[in-house]
Amino acid sequence: MADHNKKKTESAKPVSRLVGLLAQFDDPDSLIHAGTNAREAGYKKMDAYTPFPLHGIDEAIGIRRTVLPFIVLAIGLTACAGGLLMQYYANAGDWSPIFPGYNFLIGGKPLFSLPANIPVGFEVTVLFSAFATFFGMWTLNKLPRLANPLHRISRFRRATNDRFFLLLEADDEKFDASRSRQQLEEWGATAIEECNEDLTDREFPKVLKMAGLILLFLLMIPPVIIFRASAGTSRYPRMHIIPDMDWQHKYKSQVMAPAFDDSEKHTGLFADGRSKRVPLPGTIAIGMLENDTEYHRGFLPPVAAVSKDGALPGEPMAGQFNLQDEKPEGAAAPVAPVAGQDPNAPPEPNWVTEFPESVKVSRELIERGRQRFEIYCSACHGYNGNGDGLINQHAMAMAVNGQAAWTTAKSLHDPTVTIQPVGRIFDTITNGRNTMGPYKSQIPAADRWAIVLYVKALQETGIVPPATAPVAPAEGTPAESAPAKPAE
Amino acid sequence: MHKHRPAAITSPIISLNKAYVRMIPLGLIVGGAGIGVSFLMSAGNLSRFSYSWLTSFCALLSMSLGCLFFVIVQHLTRAGWSVTVRRIAEIFAMCALPMFVLFLPILLPVLLGSGAVYEWNVPGWSGEAGSPFELLKAKYLVSWFFGIRIVAFFTIWGLMAWFFLGNSLKQDKTGDPQISRKLQRHSTWIMILFAATLVFSSFDLEMSLSPKWFSTMFPVYFFAGAFMSAMALLILTSLLLQRSGRVTDEITVDNYHDMAKFAFAFVFFWGYIAFSQFMLIWYANLPEETFWYSYRINMDLETGSRGWQILSLILLFGHLLIPFLGIMARTVRRSKSYLFFASIWLLVFHWIDHFWIIMPESTPDHVFNFNLLIDLPMAIGMVGIYMALFALIAGDRPLIAKCDPRLGEALNHRNH
Repeated sequence: MADHNKKKTESAKPVSRLVGLLAQFDDPDSLIHAGTNAREAGYKKMDAYTPFPLHGIDEAIGIRRTVLPFIVLAIGLTACAGGLLMQYYANAGDWSPIFPGYNFLIGGKPLFSLPANIPVGFEVTVLFSAFATFFGMWTLNKLPRLANPLHRISRFRRATNDRFFLLLEADDEKFDASRSRQQLEEWGATAIEECNEDLTDREFPKVLKMAGLILLFLLMIPPVIIFRASAGTSRYPRMHIIPDMDWQHKYKSQVMAPAFDDSEKHTGLFADGRSKRVPLPGTIAIGMLENDTEYHRGFLPPVAAVSKDGALPGEPMAGQFNLQDEKPEGAAAPVAPVAGQDPNAPPEPNWVTEFPESVKVSRELIERGRQRFEIYCSACHGYNGNGDGLINQHAMAMAVNGQAAWTTAKSLHDPTVTIQPVGRIFDTITNGRNTMGPYKSQIPAADRWAIVLYVKALQETGIVPPATAPVAPAEGTPAESAPAKPAE
Repeated sequence: MHKHRPAAITSPIISLNKAYVRMIPLGLIVGGAGIGVSFLMSAGNLSRFSYSWLTSFCALLSMSLGCLFFVIVQHLTRAGWSVTVRRIAEIFAMCALPMFVLFLPILLPVLLGSGAVYEWNVPGWSGEAGSPFELLKAKYLVSWFFGIRIVAFFTIWGLMAWFFLGNSLKQDKTGDPQISRKLQRHSTWIMILFAATLVFSSFDLEMSLSPKWFSTMFPVYFFAGAFMSAMALLILTSLLLQRSGRVTDEITVDNYHDMAKFAFAFVFFWGYIAFSQFMLIWYANLPEETFWYSYRINMDLETGSRGWQILSLILLFGHLLIPFLGIMARTVRRSKSYLFFASIWLLVFHWIDHFWIIMPESTPDHVFNFNLLIDLPMAIGMVGIYMALFALIAGDRPLIAKCDPRLGEALNHRNH
């Protein structure tokens, strides 16, 4: 038969190829028996097909144990390490210039802590082990196959029902069509058939190719829609795909708790209606003591000698320790429009005139101050401190038109400002003054001092402010009030 | 490629064959000597001695409970593969009842009002302002109620174990297959009752040593270790019996393979539960829970001792990571010599696990106090007594349920 096959190959395009001989057996024992015989006769390439898992068939036809477990172990361990690395990168890695990790300190918890990361490592291990098992099994079995020549034999259908088959493959060195057939008969096969693979018409159908292309094209539509939606603007309110996540039924601090039942009664977690506990009287959270008054408030501790006329009410140290009262005593006092000139103004605290010890004046600090100043202050006070920030310009234009009430942003080069001690400027940033709001909660104390330093540096550059406040006329151009850029 | 074996016993000897005559006195002598040495070494420190006693006692009792679980679950699932080893498990399960006597040295002082072992027996243990939970616990943890519960637990376990062992022995004589059906039918509610007794006994025996602690996962942790050790015990006993020429043909490599699979699964389940308990407490960071782990996994700040910390790491590696990789491979699970080593390893670490649970509570300041001269003789002595109990119950009875209708299934069991 093999010769016959070869002749065909020489003469013309082959129509079929002999895969092997399929022998049918009527019971599992004779299949195992035949398999043993075939193995002992020297056959190496063969396979058995049975309706149920047959104990002993692996040994009988000499199937070696699969390497799949080792593949799974290797991939599982790799996935475990990968899962842990992924978390390390995402939570604690900030070394990458693009896509840096979320190196955020939350709740004082460590950025990377093994116990918290083991569940994810475990899940990733399980997931990838399952994938490795499933797809590894496919790969090792050369699946998926679109067609198997065995399925062309109608008798073979009973392999899933009540017959047992042994296929001797034609690739085997020992295989010889007539001799093998004879051997199979000797070993008790009840039927033997040639298994041929059809080699004609092996082209991939054009219809399917077209259908695949169309499907590929259709598949591109959803991502295009998504990209378009995320790039453009929309007049409609945003969709909430998971409303439970956007509006969670949970207690939040400073917010009235949601009603958890139908009674629509908004109750706090605690009897006083709050969802959070206030600190116990006399306690302060770690790191919140702020007893360095010079550094945190900008003035020397108010001792009795300072308040000549006893104007500081309450205990001398109240300003330092009373957290309920955010403002220090000195700043709490109403300040006259032009502070320091009104004789009726309450006495000023003892502002520090030099930077506190813990603030190291350096070029880097000035640079830091410049950054913070341009982020927080320049919008109103302008990049040069002349009080000509964009907001100021627009607001002044509106004020002239009667559309808004606006007090001009102070020029930092104004003599009333240049004479102020650093502590006073620090206090202004911290607690606000007149219409300027407080920046205590937005800017940490160290950065506020940096801004003070930068303001002082700006003032030292000696830029002479415009003689009059930059009041732009109606429809005035903003460029009018911009002075020359300082050397900074 | 194998021949179907007939469902018949082929080993010449399937009982202890008079060996129990030697085993019982030998076990008792080892027990007396070990416990005696331990007592001398504890130098009058009865509290330390009691804690050492309790450690070995709990380690062995949990093995018996694991065996009882094994027996129940085999009937519940109508398992055929395990018939050849089930009798050994039945005998070990039966050991739980006489072990009540071994608990008397702990129980009687509690009933007499001693708080040397169980802190809750000292009035005012919950401090001045006990939380509502502690007040509730104080009502539950009182000596007379504790005594009633302990007696109830051991009675229930004894009845359960005798129900399975007795009926199985009856089947040996009559060969009545209906007995297997009856056992299966009753194993349902017995399993539920077993779960309840296991949960509450683990609370009473070990968790209440630290009465202020909260953990609803502790019983599962106790159970995971118990079942793992039971499988190791079954493997070891089977190997020893075969080595001494008993039940040579009946317990096949495939049986060992399956028992080792079970042990492997519960090595990991133990780790899974141990970590789950730890991580939830670690993450929630509630003071009424964390303290229990605090002195187990941190350095002792007063003495600078890292004893418990190191022991915790030893447990992590020796009870989880090393055996997990060690008995993962099929070849290993089918090798008797390797399994001999692995089962002893697992049993040793099971004991260390209970030491880790119990001993940190032995002093108010939770100092590291492992003392080889107290704890090792105690462990050896307790194992000796346990062996004597096994021999006493096994006696001349067959070590295989020889008339079980599923015996053929076990003998022809094949594994992949």
